[in-house]
Amino acid sequence: MDVSNAVLLELFVRSLSLWWVIIPGMVLGTVVGILPGFSAQNTLIILLPLTLHMDIESGMAFMISLYCTTQLGGGIPAILFNMPGEGGAVATTLDGYPMTKKGQAQQALVLCFSASAFGGLVTTIATMAALPALAQLGLYFRSVEMVVVIVFGLTLIAAIAAQDLLKGIIAGFFGLMIGTIGVDPVFGTPRATFGLLELYDGVPLIPALIGLFAISEAFVMLESETIVRSEDLSKARGARWSDTLEGLWLTGRYWWQTVWTSLIGLIIGILPGAGSTVAAFLAYHYSKLLSKTPELYGTGHPPGVIAPESANNGVTSGTLVPVFALGIPGGTTGAIMTIVLTYHGIVLGPRLFIERPEFVYSVYMQMLVCYIFMALMILPLARYMSRVVWVPTRFLVPLILSLVTIAAFSEREYVFDMGLALGFGVIGYIARKTGYEVTAILIGVLMGPLFEQYFLRALRVGQGDPTILFSSTLGNVLWVMVALALILPWLRSRRRQGVLARTVEAGHE
Amino acid sequence: MKTKQPEVSRRSVFGGLAAAAGLTLAPTSMRGTAAQAAYPSRNMRVIIPTGQGGGAEKLARSFDAAWSKLLGQPFEYEFHPAAAGQVGYTLYVQRREKNGHNLLFGNMGPEMIMYATQKPTYKFPQDFTYFCRTDIDDSCVFVRRDSPIKDVKMLVEAAKKRPLNVALSRIPHPATIGMMALGDATGAKFNYIPYGGGNPSFMAMLSGETEVGALPIANTLALNDKFKILGVFNSTNMFAAQTENAPTINATFGTSIPDLSSSRSWAVHTEWAEANPQQFELLQRTAKEAHAAPAFREAWVKSGNPVEALVWGDRKTCHDYAEAMVKLALQYEKQLTARGRG
Repeated sequence: MDVSNAVLLELFVRSLSLWWVIIPGMVLGTVVGILPGFSAQNTLIILLPLTLHMDIESGMAFMISLYCTTQLGGGIPAILFNMPGEGGAVATTLDGYPMTKKGQAQQALVLCFSASAFGGLVTTIATMAALPALAQLGLYFRSVEMVVVIVFGLTLIAAIAAQDLLKGIIAGFFGLMIGTIGVDPVFGTPRATFGLLELYDGVPLIPALIGLFAISEAFVMLESETIVRSEDLSKARGARWSDTLEGLWLTGRYWWQTVWTSLIGLIIGILPGAGSTVAAFLAYHYSKLLSKTPELYGTGHPPGVIAPESANNGVTSGTLVPVFALGIPGGTTGAIMTIVLTYHGIVLGPRLFIERPEFVYSVYMQMLVCYIFMALMILPLARYMSRVVWVPTRFLVPLILSLVTIAAFSEREYVFDMGLALGFGVIGYIARKTGYEVTAILIGVLMGPLFEQYFLRALRVGQGDPTILFSSTLGNVLWVMVALALILPWLRSRRRQGVLARTVEAGHE
Repeated sequence: MKTKQPEVSRRSVFGGLAAAAGLTLAPTSMRGTAAQAAYPSRNMRVIIPTGQGGGAEKLARSFDAAWSKLLGQPFEYEFHPAAAGQVGYTLYVQRREKNGHNLLFGNMGPEMIMYATQKPTYKFPQDFTYFCRTDIDDSCVFVRRDSPIKDVKMLVEAAKKRPLNVALSRIPHPATIGMMALGDATGAKFNYIPYGGGNPSFMAMLSGETEVGALPIANTLALNDKFKILGVFNSTNMFAAQTENAPTINATFGTSIPDLSSSRSWAVHTEWAEANPQQFELLQRTAKEAHAAPAFREAWVKSGNPVEALVWGDRKTCHDYAEAMVKLALQYEKQLTARGRG
């Protein structure tokens, strides 16, 4: 697939001329991302009649800009209020919110925006450079390999609950148990639904997310005057442009982190059924594992914001790879875009690369332009949005609670979901007060059904033989990585304790 | 052939914004006329009991390209695929107003099998009525182009030696029954793996996780460069030319497996249809006209699907087909449910 530099330049200029759909798409995407419960998929479905009637170039530019900015938007409430706007931003709360509490909301937002934009740019360029090869990647990840990827995600429970492993594991198992509610993935037999139709699909992610994070955090917020700790409030109010620029400097300092975590996002985006939440958790997990200062994660450490944000934007580039290369969408967003593409008579699959390669590149060029526009809005957006955390919680909490309750309803339009969110809110509040990690519960809720689906499928493929789980080379390499992920922190901790003991001993001597 | 669509340009977007602002400011009395108009007076809301981006959505949207013009109302869709479509049907029957503006677009084959095997709380035909079959999508068995299995006889021979993994959309599905019947008749052993839809099943085939696929033929034909269709579960193969004359299973093995096709249809609440015969008649008539309309056929073909599959059927045809599927499913109930560990 040869496309000359002149053609690429022309496509870039053409994409720039589509600013009139890209900017509204970005504005809408940011709003959708900020509001928990409003996902890119649902918005794209609602807007399908509009995009179907646009010409294909404008329609794709609008959808792509909306989709890409949703991931960025999701990080904003995650950082400011500990309330992820999207599943992909849950991992952002782990370090983003502690930064806010320390009066560093501006820096955290700049990190989030710049990692999103830079990560998105990197993966878009990587995809353009190696699109056909990347398409093959999805074919190497079969049920067995996906089981290992999900197991790796589940080991994050142990990592984030390092301070109290037992409580972390209890929380994770509790989440996994909730995750088994719903119909079984093979025969469709309902389990633990109590006859409630609303639970046939399993426990919905959005009400669980809203309850565990937003509602429980709102209850906690009420216990103090402002979100920012009182001793850091003056620091937050005195934030200047130099603080905003510090965020940019931090992104530059951790540029390599942004690159490789965004590539994790790209790979996960290509795989069918995984998505931005899994990508963000995996990137956070790897970032902590490979860090020289893993103990700083969870305390407001900049790489803890960069990793999930660059990964969830990396996913956006990967989503379209199987659509273009194979004609088979891997997830809902890809499926919606497939509808628009086929409606306009675009023949997807290998023929597309032969007959209309410039079309494939034009779509990625639109993504590139979107990320460039995104980079331009980093500083003003971060500076002014961060001020919301000065607002006293007595005003913020009622507003947040009413917004998130509507959000819980909005996805499926069930009143039941509002009650479910409240139920999870109470569980989350109790968990926070008793030292159980709500993130560990959510990982269980989220990864449990994925694990069950791939695990049962792998066993059926193996015709009941469990050794199928160790039958592929790639799968075995991934198993080794899982083992390392569990052993490495333990070894490090032992080593550090040894060093500490020797130091103390030397001191005594 | 390319149809002229009213495209959205920069000028029209800004014009539209200005018009929207104008409408917002206009007196509310000016907007009352539409609400008072005869049936249908507002958007048609459709439940699709399968996931987004699948064959049902493509077909429904192609169909409404013609039907929405005849009815003068746009269509809105929501998707409820859980429990093999049971959630979508239950929601439709129990929680949607019976006013003729709420429709269901279902795949009668798999969803009637689900109805027979899962025993949901709604009743057919008392609660809903299929009234416009849009297509017949025969079940077929296929392999990858580079597979050593070249025809359906080789497939059966290979499956007699060891069980072959078969990628399926769902366990309760006509194509699954076809494979079960083929196994029963020939002694071949198949291992059924449901992937929850056509797209993931195709991915499983391409990745080599499964050796055989059994799915409806229309979407499989759209990937003709990747897959070879070995046989069709019907009395004739209407796509002989596109499938390199793939034989029918019955002709090859002398079996008498019933025709196993997926067939999508529009449905409406039976209570509303019986209480509003004139409006229901309008719905049926316009649906038939839409089915014959070039706008529908062109949109369907543009999405890479074969026009031959578009075979219209009236209420009685749909009813008979649905009843036949229920009977067939009951024959295979044990294998199709967790009780039989299919």
